[in-house]
Amino acid sequence: MLSLTAEDIQAILLSLKVALTATLLALPLGFATAWLMVFRSFRGKVLLEVLVNLPLTLPPVVIGYFLLLLLGKNGWAGRFLDAWGIHFIFTWKAAVIASATVGFPLLVRSVRLGMESIDRQLIETSRSLGARWFDTLITVVLPLSIRGILAGSSLMFARSLGEFGATIIVAGNIPGITQTIPLAIYDYASSPSSTMMALSLCLVAVVISVLVLFVHEVLSRNIEKQEAA
Amino acid sequence: MLQSIRRSAILLLLFLLTSAPAMAGELNLSVAASMKEVINELTGNYEKTHPGITFVKNFGASGALAGQIENGAPADLFIAANSEWMDYLKGKNLVDRKSKKTFAYNTLVFAGSTGKKVTSMRDLVKLDKIAIGSPKSVPAGEYATTAIRNAGLEQQVQGKLVMAKDVRECLMYAELGEVDGSFVYRTDALQGKKAKLLFTVPQKLYPRVVYPMALTVKAATNREAQSFHAYLQGSEAKSVLKKYGFVLK
Repeated sequence: MLSLTAEDIQAILLSLKVALTATLLALPLGFATAWLMVFRSFRGKVLLEVLVNLPLTLPPVVIGYFLLLLLGKNGWAGRFLDAWGIHFIFTWKAAVIASATVGFPLLVRSVRLGMESIDRQLIETSRSLGARWFDTLITVVLPLSIRGILAGSSLMFARSLGEFGATIIVAGNIPGITQTIPLAIYDYASSPSSTMMALSLCLVAVVISVLVLFVHEVLSRNIEKQEAA
Repeated sequence: MLQSIRRSAILLLLFLLTSAPAMAGELNLSVAASMKEVINELTGNYEKTHPGITFVKNFGASGALAGQIENGAPADLFIAANSEWMDYLKGKNLVDRKSKKTFAYNTLVFAGSTGKKVTSMRDLVKLDKIAIGSPKSVPAGEYATTAIRNAGLEQQVQGKLVMAKDVRECLMYAELGEVDGSFVYRTDALQGKKAKLLFTVPQKLYPRVVYPMALTVKAATNREAQSFHAYLQGSEAKSVLKKYGFVLK
């Protein structure tokens, strides 16, 4: 029943590649943003909060269209990158940027939750014993919020796998180059004669999502146990 | 408090249940994306002279529309951008054979806002990115792929093609300059602001672009659907089609 063409396999591999790259790219920035929001007070914090969470509520197609206008040939970022010979639109890198933008709030939320659960006294102790803020960050905050980081990364990875609305606009729908699983399914679903192909790929999407969420659960449980021990 | 919540929930449920059946005088149209302006103008005129009739219009790629109709989406009239998807529904006995008529014809062109000189199919080789509709579901993309194949350029343009979800998205990419040009219908190219018609694809390279229309089987006995179907074959419809650049014969 499961019939996958070579193009479908490419779509699956591309989806994994895009989701992984987007998550890895977003991690340092997400960690820094979460740290800013938990441990720092500054002007415009509310604004930053709104900005970070905006992709959560904006329709992905709006994000895609903004990215297209921004990174496109006539966009200001696009023109700047063009001078360096970098082109994003209609490449797999555009899919990475779309996924990273849409998944970013999920990552920050989880990392924040992890950081907020850290006992503040530990941080103050480390500071009073002479550790610099950066040492505290690496040796206290990072290990103690690892659970939130892992949870956030797996959630973001899962969200990136499912990214459709922003991706189809900035990356196009080019088989073998930018066609991820959701885009391939969309293509099949728009043509009634390929229902079986659509369903096969849907099944693959379900299996991958279940696997990722399963890993997410196991990881967070293990860490919970470690913390209890 | 709790009771009033429950009461309003029941009211809401009743409202949702009773509003589901289609209202009298409501016609559901499923129309190929490239016919959007024509159908909007025609239904606007029709509503003025036929008070009580309202239209629910669903525009999209013909393949997607056929799939929706096959799966039971409400549709009284289907206008496709090729015969394939009309025949597909005919084969499933979902459209009324007797009401199948040719609504209009169109031609395939290449449009773009590129500074490069593009005047024939052979010039496509010089370009970096070319948008076509996704050939699996967008007829314009299918015609474009056929034309490219018959021109013997399949190998050369591979890797340059960007598949768009419908013909209007092709035009949008060309307008923004994200692609050098797009294969679109002549009628779409005429709507372009920055994207200009660069050349007409020779008719010998692809089958003629036909827009068949038909009533669905369940609408075949509906008077209002029949009368709108007749209106679409009348002189007013013809002049609107002509205005937007469609070919009638």
